[in-house]
Amino acid sequence: MKEFSATINGSPVTARDGMTILEVARENGIDIPTLCYSPELTLTGACRICVVEVEGSRTLVGSCHTPIAPGMVIQTHSPRVLDARRVTMELLLASHPEVCIVCDKANMCDLRKIAADLDVGLPRFRLPKHYFPMEDVSPYITRDMSKCIQCWKCVKACSEIAKKNVYGIAYRGFKSKVVVDFDDQPMDKEVCRDCGICIPFCPTGALCKPSPVRQAKTARPLVITGTAQQ
Amino acid sequence: MNSTAGDISAEAKKRGKLLVLLEQAQDKLGCLPKEFMARLAASLGLSISEVYGLATFYSFLSPGPSGRNVIRVCKSLPCYLKDLLIESVKREIGVGPGETTSDGRFSFELTNCIGACDQAPAMMVNHDVYGGLTPEELPRILERYK
Amino acid sequence: MPEKRIVLRNCGVLDPKDISTYLEKDGFKAWQKARTELSPEQLIAEIKASGLRGRGGAGFPCGLKWELTSKAPGDEKYVVCNADEGEVGTFKDRYILENDPFTLIEGLAIAGYAIGARKGYIYLRAEYHYLLDLLTGAINQARDRGLLEQFDIEIRQGAGAYICGEESALMDSIEGKRGEARYKPPFPPSRGLWQRPTVINNVETLMNIPQIILNGCNWFSQMGTERSKGTKVFSVSGDVQRPAVYELVMGSPLRELVEGLARAKAGRFIQIGGATGRIVPYEMIDTPMDFEHILGAGSIIVFDQSRDIVDIVRRTMEFLAEESCGKCTPCRQGTRVMVGILDKFAHGQGEERDIRSLEELSSAMMLSSLCGLGQAAPIPVVDSLQRFRSDYEARIRKN
Ligand SMILES: Cc1cc2nc3c(=O)[nH]c(=O)nc-3n(C[C@H](O)[C@H](O)[C@H](O)COP(=O)(O)O)c2cc1C
Ligand code: FES
Ligand code: FES
Repeated sequence: MKEFSATINGSPVTARDGMTILEVARENGIDIPTLCYSPELTLTGACRICVVEVEGSRTLVGSCHTPIAPGMVIQTHSPRVLDARRVTMELLLASHPEVCIVCDKANMCDLRKIAADLDVGLPRFRLPKHYFPMEDVSPYITRDMSKCIQCWKCVKACSEIAKKNVYGIAYRGFKSKVVVDFDDQPMDKEVCRDCGICIPFCPTGALCKPSPVRQAKTARPLVITGTAQQ
Repeated sequence: MNSTAGDISAEAKKRGKLLVLLEQAQDKLGCLPKEFMARLAASLGLSISEVYGLATFYSFLSPGPSGRNVIRVCKSLPCYLKDLLIESVKREIGVGPGETTSDGRFSFELTNCIGACDQAPAMMVNHDVYGGLTPEELPRILERYK
Repeated sequence: MPEKRIVLRNCGVLDPKDISTYLEKDGFKAWQKARTELSPEQLIAEIKASGLRGRGGAGFPCGLKWELTSKAPGDEKYVVCNADEGEVGTFKDRYILENDPFTLIEGLAIAGYAIGARKGYIYLRAEYHYLLDLLTGAINQARDRGLLEQFDIEIRQGAGAYICGEESALMDSIEGKRGEARYKPPFPPSRGLWQRPTVINNVETLMNIPQIILNGCNWFSQMGTERSKGTKVFSVSGDVQRPAVYELVMGSPLRELVEGLARAKAGRFIQIGGATGRIVPYEMIDTPMDFEHILGAGSIIVFDQSRDIVDIVRRTMEFLAEESCGKCTPCRQGTRVMVGILDKFAHGQGEERDIRSLEELSSAMMLSSLCGLGQAAPIPVVDSLQRFRSDYEARIRKN
């Protein structure tokens, strides 16, 4: 395999034919955030959080899908890059529910981690929140599409690894959504038994393992008795 | 995938027919009933989600019920400047954009530029394009669609 | 400066239903010449030398695109004609298809020969379904006369999605998928339709091919400017007396088109290139129309003094938000945020910080969006903020 050199953040790096910018950066200990990328799945290029600056390019480029080329001069954390990443993060958070405190994924959530890294707090943009009912009928997967950021990793994990094609992407633009069948029933597919491959791929709390805690809670609802004082 | 490989895989070719088949069904049935999409998915070896995903992406496909005829009034700028036909169509058929008449004769939708801006304001009824319209002409045109 | 009809030379002259009217002129002579007198390499060299650039909006050099595709490894290649024409205010391709489908077919066949493709597609937008029979008839007549040997043309219809005019989304749509933009590279010349090397050209680009072959590259490159050769077909609409399709030599001043031909009276601003195009004040009426200045796909919408620019930009953004495929974050979410902010201004409820938000968002969308839609979506906002800022400021809510 042909080796060549390029420059990342001012330092020379060695790359091999066919590698992406992200792969080379990671090999050199440079951390570029990703949301829709996974080494186990085909590339998507959808989230745009992984953008970097390449000398001579009019726009920033997605590092997860752009092949590195000989002599490329790359900046992974320039002010321009960080500004763009922050806006993208704020755009995602703008339609994401503010329920981190009760979210099952809370401390394992990639979205939240990357937001913290980028120093993004309250988004400056306003968007309607997506409200979808919690789908907790399936004993295998709990799905809360309000939290989905459309990275498509579940769709790809299901079709590429599990070979089951349970998920699809439907609608268009801001309305687009990861759906099951005709999107008219809460997810409850028997083919999901003993699978759950998609769950760890989800960068947010949209997909979770049904937790025993929640089952206990739903079994015995908390009832407050007595009359309120007027 | 090897870019120098010979024939496109049979699977990809089969998949390639999906949009064509949905368009044909839309033309014939006026919408895409669930049973049809489910059968189509099964026959192409695709999941229902994939077929539904396609049906909801394209604005000329209707996964839900739809009137026998679809009126699409152009709302893009050149037509907008020449007064949209929205009010006139509404008066004529009694329902507004996004709705279907109770007898199922017309569905009324707004659409983006239909490439008839030289004849603005323009609209489509099914596949027919009408341009340079005045409200007075509407009844005569709509009469043709039963 | 009168019109110069090269692309449109047969429009209104031929019977679009009868190929013999085309053959009686110079129909398919270029195709014959190409196949008998020129090797594919010579043919490509000729197109390169002509300086022809794509007419679909981006202006990529046509000959270079063909060369890259012809040199890409693989024995299965495709030519695709982009007849999706979804850009707001554009109707020139419709006019061409209606009046002269034959030149297009000849151009497509020559492109096929040049790159070694045995199959061509015409992707026709759903809104032009009424042209399907005419086009099919034209293809059949050409085939019956033996003019499409070893080259098959199939028409694929869109189903209502502006984004399918973007080349990678268009190819996904032909493959029977949702029309979502792909990441690039790879570009179509190396991996396009079904991952095979593919040339994708706009209708008008292909219309130029036969005449270049017949008259030579020098004839063509004498017209126009340094970096914009030949003519351009414009669609003029809006507040003008004669909205129509006009063809002018590249570099002609906007005034010629808007006042001379379309008979506009002094307006307030002009949108050039549709929803993702530029907005210029009417005072820039003497700007030459070419790739060096402003061009796009040649849509010109004129707005008179009574028009409200904030309202126009808001409607433009609504269009883009509706038509965003939804795949990438900046475009899916960003266009929607912009609609919200522009809505506030349209209702006199803007806030000082909204202007800054618009600017910061614009820059990020242009830099990080996946495809040309998201990258160009902020242009109307940026242009109007630059040239008509006071219109925004007047809409800031006063407490
Ligand atoms: C959002 C978007 C919409 C587009 N729509 C069209 C279109 O309707 N027709 C077209 O020819 N090109 C369109 N293009 C440009 C195509 O991507 C592509 O550049 C063009 O078809 C190439 O042909 P050309 O080189 O002959 O211009 C669009 C691009 C974008 C980003
Ligand atoms: S990680 Fe690269 S675009 Fe999502
Ligand atoms: S704007 Fe209505 S047809 Fe173009």
